[in-house]
Amino acid sequence: MPGFLQPTTLEEAFALLDGKGETRFLAGGTDLLVLLRLGAISCDNVMDVKRIPELSTLRLTDETLEIGAAWTCNQILAAPEVGSEYAPLRQASAALANSLLRNRATLVGNICNASPGGDMLPACLVLEGSVVAASSRGERTIALKDFFTGVKKNVLKPDEIVLRTVFPRTQGRGTYLKKKRIHGHDLAQVSVAGFYADDGHLRLALGAVAITPLLLDFGVIPAAELPARRTEIIEAVAAAAKPITDVRASREYRLAMGRLFTERIIDGLIDGSLGLAEDRPCTTPAREAVTA
Amino acid sequence: MTTATTATLANKEHRYIGKPVKRHDGFEKVTGQAQYAGDIKLSGMLYAKMKTSPHAHARILSIDASRARALPGVRSVITGEHGTAKVGIYMQDKSVIATDYVRYAGEVVAAVAADTLRIAEQAIELIEVEYEPLPALLDVCEAAAEGAPLIHPDLGSYAHSEGVFFPEPGTNIANHTRIRRGNMEAGFAEADIILENTFSQKQVFHVPLETHVTIVQWALDDQIKIWCSGQSPFSVRDLFAIGFEIDRNKIEVNIPFVGGGFGGKAGIHLEPLVGLLSRAAGGRPVKLVPTREEECATLPCRQGQFARIKTGCKKDGTIVAEAVEILWDAGAYADYGVNIGRASSTSACGPYYIPNVCIDAKTVYTNKLFGTAYRGFGHPECFFAIERQRDLMARELGMDPTDFRLKNMLYPGLTTVTGELVTENTGRPDKCLKSAARMIDLHTPYTEAEKAEMRLSGKYRAKAACVLQKAPAMPTWSASSALVQMNEDGSVRISVSGVDYGQGTYTVLQQIVAERLNLPIEKVNINRSVNTTLSPYDWQTVASRMTVICGMAVADAADDLKRQTLEIAAIALRASVHEIALGEGYVYVMQNPHLRVGFDKLAIGYVYENGNAIGGPLIGRGRAIAQGLSNLDPETGQGKAAIDWTYGAHAVELEVDTNTGDIEVLQFANCLDVGQVMNEQLLRGQTVGGILQGIGCALSEAVNYNDQGKMITNNFTDYKIPTFKDMPGEIKLDVVQTPQLDGPYGARGAGEHPLISVTAVIANALANATGAQFHDLPLSATRVHAKLEELREGQVNEIAEGMENFEPTACTA
Repeated sequence: MPGFLQPTTLEEAFALLDGKGETRFLAGGTDLLVLLRLGAISCDNVMDVKRIPELSTLRLTDETLEIGAAWTCNQILAAPEVGSEYAPLRQASAALANSLLRNRATLVGNICNASPGGDMLPACLVLEGSVVAASSRGERTIALKDFFTGVKKNVLKPDEIVLRTVFPRTQGRGTYLKKKRIHGHDLAQVSVAGFYADDGHLRLALGAVAITPLLLDFGVIPAAELPARRTEIIEAVAAAAKPITDVRASREYRLAMGRLFTERIIDGLIDGSLGLAEDRPCTTPAREAVTA
Repeated sequence: MTTATTATLANKEHRYIGKPVKRHDGFEKVTGQAQYAGDIKLSGMLYAKMKTSPHAHARILSIDASRARALPGVRSVITGEHGTAKVGIYMQDKSVIATDYVRYAGEVVAAVAADTLRIAEQAIELIEVEYEPLPALLDVCEAAAEGAPLIHPDLGSYAHSEGVFFPEPGTNIANHTRIRRGNMEAGFAEADIILENTFSQKQVFHVPLETHVTIVQWALDDQIKIWCSGQSPFSVRDLFAIGFEIDRNKIEVNIPFVGGGFGGKAGIHLEPLVGLLSRAAGGRPVKLVPTREEECATLPCRQGQFARIKTGCKKDGTIVAEAVEILWDAGAYADYGVNIGRASSTSACGPYYIPNVCIDAKTVYTNKLFGTAYRGFGHPECFFAIERQRDLMARELGMDPTDFRLKNMLYPGLTTVTGELVTENTGRPDKCLKSAARMIDLHTPYTEAEKAEMRLSGKYRAKAACVLQKAPAMPTWSASSALVQMNEDGSVRISVSGVDYGQGTYTVLQQIVAERLNLPIEKVNINRSVNTTLSPYDWQTVASRMTVICGMAVADAADDLKRQTLEIAAIALRASVHEIALGEGYVYVMQNPHLRVGFDKLAIGYVYENGNAIGGPLIGRGRAIAQGLSNLDPETGQGKAAIDWTYGAHAVELEVDTNTGDIEVLQFANCLDVGQVMNEQLLRGQTVGGILQGIGCALSEAVNYNDQGKMITNNFTDYKIPTFKDMPGEIKLDVVQTPQLDGPYGARGAGEHPLISVTAVIANALANATGAQFHDLPLSATRVHAKLEELREGQVNEIAEGMENFEPTACTA
């Protein structure tokens, strides 16, 4: 049974991490506790980071949106700072598990868990998210596009605590589409996030089609060129996806749905239907969020 | 319920029968005050953990538990050399703990009881088991084939109910039930069209919220106390006693509140294992709380099924012959499972009259988790096959499927496949089918505009309707008894040993007694928990038999109490029994109603002014037993199989997104012939719950294994049950009320029935929408999408045609 650490300052946390064996960080715990209970992972200590004040802030500055590591998905949905320009993030928050779990599950926890199907990851990738990690050696910022290294693997050092996720201020249209097996809570069989910035920068990201979430950065594509480049974009996405067959879906199904969702996003951008009604109320996601 | 029949449910003759009386246990459950087995803590209690096999099939070469035994805090360890008793209900093929072989991954090979759960978990890790892996038989057809390796070489020596079950030693067939009627050769010779199809379904889980929590104290003098989350207090006592050769009166089984069962807690489960741990620990009570993963991989599931159906029809749609062969995938053990194959055979052709019938149901061992009773007891599986076959045949005939069904339906005057005469009192599947069809406007075609919209969006809508039936499956001697005792204040308390594990039985029993005694329902209480020392006998809470059989026992007990009350009141009132009557809580002289005596003055004895007392405590006792059931003929299956048949029908409208393979249930209609509705709210609850459970079986639920036989769906991450968000857009309910003359107030059972045929009606509607003919389940989006892709490549226009070819004729019958 691992020890339980609950520091109230960063300094205390760093001190507790020093030479105490392997420590796993507990934010919401919705993945960690399940894995510990199953015996799928083991560690010497579990450190609850929610009492560290630096992790509990959410700030909207002129340049960035910063979401502290202790912020849950439901808190993100309720935060007025997370506006409709961050639609993929809002929609992913609403699509993750169910409301009970979203009361615990955190954005940073989902990122650090680094599951290829993690709901928050494609959304964060298309919004150019990065994380700020701290250790006794200081802080560093890691772009999420460089963060994921494999199934449940990331670039963090064992003694690094993620303080927050940071997104640049942006304007644009985007969405997060998730395919799952039932209308109720489920992991993504496949997911696609898209964001088309007002400056024409197009990013798409896919979940559950490779060992890490995939980001496809198409650079600036003027709106007028989107129809002509539609096929090229869709084929690029399809070519990048390398899914497997498992108990949740077949490889073929993942490929087909990845393609379908990509088509829907591009077509929504072309015909203007995507992004018009993104300022959803902060409630349980609508039913259409399942396959929309 | 949303239909016109509602008005007739509130029968004016009754004060409580048919009324929406609130659940007796609602408050306790909603507030969290209800105590379940998991809440119980006893002084000196130990905590148990199981060690299970990682192999689907292996010989156990050695077990070394010495390090576990040496761990401080460990109080007992058991392995196969201690637990060789076979304990079971119908086919005693399962040892309490694996002895020489393991036959499924998840089978218990050792167990530990320790001061804390943590120590027990550590001890389990210290037990070393050496296996010799053997080839695993995972496919039921391969396992049934001649020359297949034997999973139970000793099948011939297993004790079982003789004359009821027919094992075939030297094969993997634990039971072979036969039903024969007419002449198959002549029957098929008459047919213009012969259609043969196969259907298969994987195992599914029961998913009770509470797992099989078990506490046993096996004291040094062999006095045994059991607390468990079960459906069958007296069966646990009975089977425990038989298995360990212990007198019944030394065993006490307690059932507190139970968090769901769905059949999976019928019979006996972990009680013998935990009992052995307690005995080995010197009689300290031992508690075992299976985790969800253990509940999935170690405790039984619903059996899988493979069915082959050959049907012969005349051009006019008359079914002239039908041959049904079913292989039940029992998994590693068939103790309870053999009865599923036997009992559901009597319904294997559905509520249809077919003159020439041949049914063979074989229960086959495989190296997978073993199956047991599950809501519907084999009928949901049989009806998937038979009601799919009906639609496929109607398609061959070019006939409307509803017309085809109605033409061949089992009407009064005809006989069932087991030779039982259907009477005017038996129930009316035809009326149910027509009602269900009407509720969703089954025969109203889509407009051209709607069809154009479907083609545009790729979301095709379609409708379908099916019938269903089931009778209680139980031994011919299945019985209930009840006590109704009067309290000092004139209120009454009911004691039964049926278990209310969520279905609402106790509330219905309260209603029956309140009705019988003309008492306000608040004055009628019922036991919250069952105790086999204090409570009267009941066989098991299964088979939708509580309202009917336990209900009759309770009515009988209330009548007995009434008779005794009138007897003492007659003396007190100086009148004859025929001159007095029951008021609300008192007895009065009919001619002079002001002359009365309260129940409170009679309850424990009537006392005269001078202190003389007569009577004594009033205790009504009642009993009921299945009437007229017979064992079925071993060769032909003929006999009396059912005490009551509950018929019903479903109709559905769904939308298939051909882009994604997703199925959206837009509306779902159900009509059951329940006889008298006892409690509309509870009936609605059972019906909606059953439909949703059926939708799970149709769309997302299936137990899956890897090619070594290790289960890969042993958790809720990958075994997906429907949630509230998966409810149909609209549910419409109706009832037909053909009275069951020997049921209480004309009622028959309805707990299991809503689940039956849900899979079939959805698969039929899917076929109508897209042309995709599925013969297996689940209809997951992945599989539907793949099938539609095949159709797109092979038969380009099939998708649109599937729907357009379906031009239903008007319902003629």
